[in-house]
Amino acid sequence: MIVCRNIYKSYKHGASRKQVLNNVNLSIAPGDRLALLGRNGAGKSTLIKLIGGVEMPTSGRITRGMSLSWPLGFAGGFQGSLTGYDNARFISRIYDRDYKDMKAFVEDFTEMGRQLAMPVKTYSSGMRARLAFALSLAIEFDCYLIDEIILVGDQNFQRKCQYELFEKRQDRTMILASHSTEVVRQFCNRAVIINQGHATDYTDVDHAVDLYSAL
Amino acid sequence: MSDRAMRKLREGWRIQTRVIHALIIRELHTRFGRENIGFLWIMVEPLLFAGLVAIIWRFMKGPEEHGIGIIAFVVTGYIPITLFRHGVSRSVSIFVANSSLMYHRQVKILDFVLARFAIEVIGSMMAYVFIASILVLFDEFPIPAQPGLLVAGWMLYSLFTLSLCFMVAPLSEMSEVLEKFMPVVTYVMIPFSGLFTMASWLTPTMREYLLWSPFVNAMEMMRKGIWGGQITAYYNIWNPLACSLVASMLGLALCRHVRRTLTVE
Repeated sequence: MIVCRNIYKSYKHGASRKQVLNNVNLSIAPGDRLALLGRNGAGKSTLIKLIGGVEMPTSGRITRGMSLSWPLGFAGGFQGSLTGYDNARFISRIYDRDYKDMKAFVEDFTEMGRQLAMPVKTYSSGMRARLAFALSLAIEFDCYLIDEIILVGDQNFQRKCQYELFEKRQDRTMILASHSTEVVRQFCNRAVIINQGHATDYTDVDHAVDLYSAL
Repeated sequence: MSDRAMRKLREGWRIQTRVIHALIIRELHTRFGRENIGFLWIMVEPLLFAGLVAIIWRFMKGPEEHGIGIIAFVVTGYIPITLFRHGVSRSVSIFVANSSLMYHRQVKILDFVLARFAIEVIGSMMAYVFIASILVLFDEFPIPAQPGLLVAGWMLYSLFTLSLCFMVAPLSEMSEVLEKFMPVVTYVMIPFSGLFTMASWLTPTMREYLLWSPFVNAMEMMRKGIWGGQITAYYNIWNPLACSLVASMLGLALCRHVRRTLTVE
């Protein structure tokens, strides 16, 4: 169970302050596949970062009763000047996993071959996504935090992700920020629309998607 | 209840040591790469610095100062101060530089400071042992008379430097001005580091002022540990201990404060 209670988040820049999240309450049960919907800048990524513990809420409390992946997104989690292998090794160290198994899985899942021996900063966003997914699937989390990234890959990668994530790991929890109404309708059983700092919870995903499309 | 707290503490300790270990290796890779002598580069800079300055002093001032070998005297002063200068300057903007790793919840911001500091300490201690061993062969460096005191002095010097890093890291996040002033401040600090003189060579008034500096106290301990009965040293171990304690507490509080508002891309 993941519970967000009275979450406020604002960013200060100079004298001005931007309120991004305004009293967000959310609880996510094991097995939920929650879609976060909202326009650009609505606070989806911010909420994912707060749930993942990357940033701290200005006020409010988040309790995490299961193991959470780091937010899988375009940025973060990797050191650009190191190679894919080095990053994998670093992650295997900090998550206390066997590097050999991880390496084998990453090579197999990413199909990136020799590119893995190149610095991550030379990767395209699709390749980063492959690496991030491979590493987080190798570690096996109870809950996956996915920030938009699922749609950046090519067809082959998307098929693989859908198989590994939505079919093979059906029992896992997922929090997915996405603009793809198709993916959301197909895979999610709950949706939250974030608009002007407020989060509204919907159990009827189709209804939520329609509302979001009208925003 | 306390049993559970103990278990949690042990688990936390296990995770943090693992993380710091991983960060140290990662840092060594990014900084020194894997070619030629690799991570041994960490001791090259303190070695060069201390070695060259020692040679210059040797030619400017002759072989001895106040009855002790000038080369050994300069080396014992310069290597600790490179630890201080590097440690502090590496702590500037350390959170921004590592922010992408904050995606992993077990990586705490203090780990960054500890990992970088560990590298500096290991590097300067290796350089110290290396250069001293060579100088001992050439009879330019005495065999330490009181090794325990030498090590204790090093530990206090390092401890105080670390506690300053704990303060510099969050302060550099809060104010960009600090970054500009840091090189000047570390430079001005040099006379207060006990580098150039022993306290016993000074007038009593000067000595009294200088012994307020935790660095001087630790430096006197190190040198007493090396030369033993040949020199008179003035030190109070409580000064560096108390200063470290105060600076660490302030630093840790600042780190905690900064973490709450840290923005990660």
